[in-house]
Amino acid sequence: MMDSIAGLQLGFSHALTLTNLGWALLGCFLGTAVGVLPGIGPALTIALLLPITFKVEATGAFILFCGVFYGAMYGGSTTSILLNTPGESGSIITALEGAKMARNGRAGPALATAAIGSFVAGTIGTLGISFLGPVVVDLALQLGPAEYFSLMLLCFVTVSAVLGGSALRGLTSLFLGLLLGLVGIDLQTGQPRMTLGVPELLDGVNVVLVAVALFAVGETLFMAWRHTSAAPVVRPVGGIVMSRSDWKRSFWPWIRGSLLGFPFGVMPAGGTEMPTMLSYYAERKLVKPEHAGEFGTTGAIEGVAGPEAANNAAAAGILVPMLTLGLPTSATAAIMLSAFQSYGINPGPLLFEQQGALVWTLIASLYVANIMLVVLNLPLVGLWARILKIPQPQLYAGILVFATIGTYGISNSVTDLVLLYVIGIIGMFMRRFDFPTAPVVIGMILGPMAEQAMRQALTISEGNWLTFVERPVSLAILALAVAALVGPRLWAAVRRRASA
Amino acid sequence: MTRPGNAPSGAAPDVMVGGFVLLLGVLALWQTSTIPASPIYAQVGPKAVPYVVGAGLLALGAALLATALRGGWSHTLEEVQEAPPTNWRALGLLLAGLATNLVLIGPFGFSAAATVQFVLVAAAFGSRRLLRDLALALVLTLVVWFGFVQVLGVNIGAGLLEGLVLRALGLDAIE
Amino acid sequence: MSSRRSLLAAVTGLAAAALAGDAGAQQRLASLYMFIPAGPGGGWDGLGRAIEQVARQAGLVGTFQFENVGGAGGSVGLPRFVGQRRGRPDALMVTGSIMVGATLTNRTPVGMKDLTPVARLTEEAGVVVVPASSDIKDLAGLLAALKANPGGVSVGGGSAGGTDHITLGLILKSLGRSAKDGSYVAFAGGGPAQAAILGAQVKAGISGLSEFAEQIKSGRMRALATTGQERTDPAIPTLTESGTDVVMTNWRGVFAPPGIRPDARDKLVALMTELHALPAWTELLKTRDWTDAFLTGEAFTAFLAEDVAKTEAVLKEIGLA
Repeated sequence: MMDSIAGLQLGFSHALTLTNLGWALLGCFLGTAVGVLPGIGPALTIALLLPITFKVEATGAFILFCGVFYGAMYGGSTTSILLNTPGESGSIITALEGAKMARNGRAGPALATAAIGSFVAGTIGTLGISFLGPVVVDLALQLGPAEYFSLMLLCFVTVSAVLGGSALRGLTSLFLGLLLGLVGIDLQTGQPRMTLGVPELLDGVNVVLVAVALFAVGETLFMAWRHTSAAPVVRPVGGIVMSRSDWKRSFWPWIRGSLLGFPFGVMPAGGTEMPTMLSYYAERKLVKPEHAGEFGTTGAIEGVAGPEAANNAAAAGILVPMLTLGLPTSATAAIMLSAFQSYGINPGPLLFEQQGALVWTLIASLYVANIMLVVLNLPLVGLWARILKIPQPQLYAGILVFATIGTYGISNSVTDLVLLYVIGIIGMFMRRFDFPTAPVVIGMILGPMAEQAMRQALTISEGNWLTFVERPVSLAILALAVAALVGPRLWAAVRRRASA
Repeated sequence: MTRPGNAPSGAAPDVMVGGFVLLLGVLALWQTSTIPASPIYAQVGPKAVPYVVGAGLLALGAALLATALRGGWSHTLEEVQEAPPTNWRALGLLLAGLATNLVLIGPFGFSAAATVQFVLVAAAFGSRRLLRDLALALVLTLVVWFGFVQVLGVNIGAGLLEGLVLRALGLDAIE
Repeated sequence: MSSRRSLLAAVTGLAAAALAGDAGAQQRLASLYMFIPAGPGGGWDGLGRAIEQVARQAGLVGTFQFENVGGAGGSVGLPRFVGQRRGRPDALMVTGSIMVGATLTNRTPVGMKDLTPVARLTEEAGVVVVPASSDIKDLAGLLAALKANPGGVSVGGGSAGGTDHITLGLILKSLGRSAKDGSYVAFAGGGPAQAAILGAQVKAGISGLSEFAEQIKSGRMRALATTGQERTDPAIPTLTESGTDVVMTNWRGVFAPPGIRPDARDKLVALMTELHALPAWTELLKTRDWTDAFLTGEAFTAFLAEDVAKTEAVLKEIGLA
């Protein structure tokens, strides 16, 4: 603890020089820009910036990278909320309520709660890195494939929160997602599955592509289908600032989301997606009864604040195994690690001891970047929200151009564009027949992760299915999943009996 | 709205949806049956989960079909009841925009293809100012392309328009 | 100020102009697309980025562009590289012996034969490790456990049918067991496999020495044996020394896509030869603990054919192909 404080003091003394502040600013700006673009994430951006490691001393380079990393997390929510076009997989859940809020004239508060929530989560996450790092990692390493499988089952339970009016149609959507998730070569045995013999499908279907196709392309097609020239829809921009009630409703979701997100980020197979789902589920269950009706209809601010905080806290958590053990648990962390290597620094368990000054400067610059981002982003909220004033024809045309470049820009593959449009057409019909689209994306994310974890766990246990209940942590998570599944129903039954 | 023939005709599209899901299930099961058995993993092989997903889709498709035959669900939706008639012009123009983009992006590059797409989509939503849309699209797509290629260094090949602009600026095309 | 300017240049992509200023060597390629058929952080990724580091510093190549497509020992990435980059003269894929095994095991329609060999660069011995908390103290202990009940000793490593998996199969075979009896857990990349071993989720692990070196140095993993012909690390015995007749190394190299013109291939070979001759490359091999195994042209093609044949025979023998 004292070590951490002394380390932080040293770190801040390095981070707060004019040059290093400049690097942080540049990183934040670049990161926000790439976070906004669907398809381009922080990993790719940092990889593209790697060459500067040959020109710039280590501290400056890492401050730049951290700015990009945190900035992308801030930017990712902007397009999710305004255009229903998630910039990266961690902000897919943000789009659920965020886009609905924007459609109902609450774009300003949605963007503001996302930005401030990101700040709160970033701060909590960075505090976690500073003081809890090594301890949390050792705990996280105790989780094996069996625990991950149980965690994913718990996440599957949360899908019930987005199934919509009909369980039958919601489940159909979920299974469509599971099917899409199966496409590609099986990791455990290398056998191609569900590829229809198309070589481009061997590496699977990208989940951001599917989210953009269903949310943005499908929506645009549906609007054209029902388009009437008589009364052009005017989207209200509404107030920009968060009201008192917005603050009150956002506060606990920010905190809960942050506390949920950070440990998931630390887990070697955690990631940013699972905590956003769990946070969304929790907020939907914990919302005050008078606001419950806003979920899935006009958009509830809790459903933006929680998942967005979870996403950012998880992103901070990802840095912990990288800094304390040299374990790259995400693409971004892996690329930062290779940047360490190009300075001749071998990231590993001894990094804190051997490169203390550098590591603490990096952590200090995370605080700096976090403050810069919220200062940069809040005044922009008003500007961003004006995007909604663009007339409908040009707005929809722009969204499609955006979706196209995001998809085509990464892979240069026309096959991916065909997929984008075909899944978009399916999305249009799903809208027409009242199938919810979010379960498709959730099934795609969770399905493959759950399958691999299950098979790894079963190989380790020599085919013993009891492994999931014999390991205490796994059992506890499973119990939680069962409670989340039957608890509300039991509670309702008890209350009915009591009132009868 | 109480004509006896109304319910079946309202349900006909729902029957097709049920059929589509059934078809997906069949497709999934057929694809699963073609996965070669792997000698390595004796515990749970690569086929187990696909079979479950395929069977699930079959069951859900059958349930949807049964619901549809009993009158369907979608004609009761407020949105469908109040919906204006299908706007074939708008939908057609939009789909044409997507199709042209697919055809043009290979030979002519991103900016040209996306510009045509932009104009067609804007027209689909009732924009009548063709020239203004064209100018807007050109600026937007070129800015986006240069943003990608120059700032991020992503290797999207220079097409027709990008080449022209690069030459105008006196730079060599990237490829 | 100068570093500011060069950053701006790098950021705006006008890097070529800035780089030309400080490097004397002749630029061979304006831009090079590097395809890594594995997740970031693993051995192939490390080699690819090392090539970038040295080639850029020397000014041999203007800009690099990386793409990582991981999974199934490169079986996921290979068809993508072959399909999307066919005929392109400015693309290289980093790969090696793991892919040879994976494509054979998985009977993928696209194989090593579809690639244009450019150069073999490094060779690395594997290492057999156990978590520091394990009660297995040495190789003899592990072998005894494997012999008694191979299914009970879960071993984590890279993708199914890869070098790590084959090493385990060969060890089991030398113990009079079948490779099929083993509990091999495939992980997508270096990071997840390391995490599983550090957390003692699996009983043992097999992977390249460089991937585990830092963890071994810090005492979080215990190295039992290396898999090369001779000792790589003087402190760790080889499998052969310990009486197990298994030698299995992991070579890595670069390949061009199919259908490129012979002059384009020669250009890439010349680039790699020039790179290999640089003092910076020698220095880098030393710091990374990689064994130099430079080979190009006909010799590399012949080596590859032999390696494919050998690996196929081994895989058939242990029931995986």
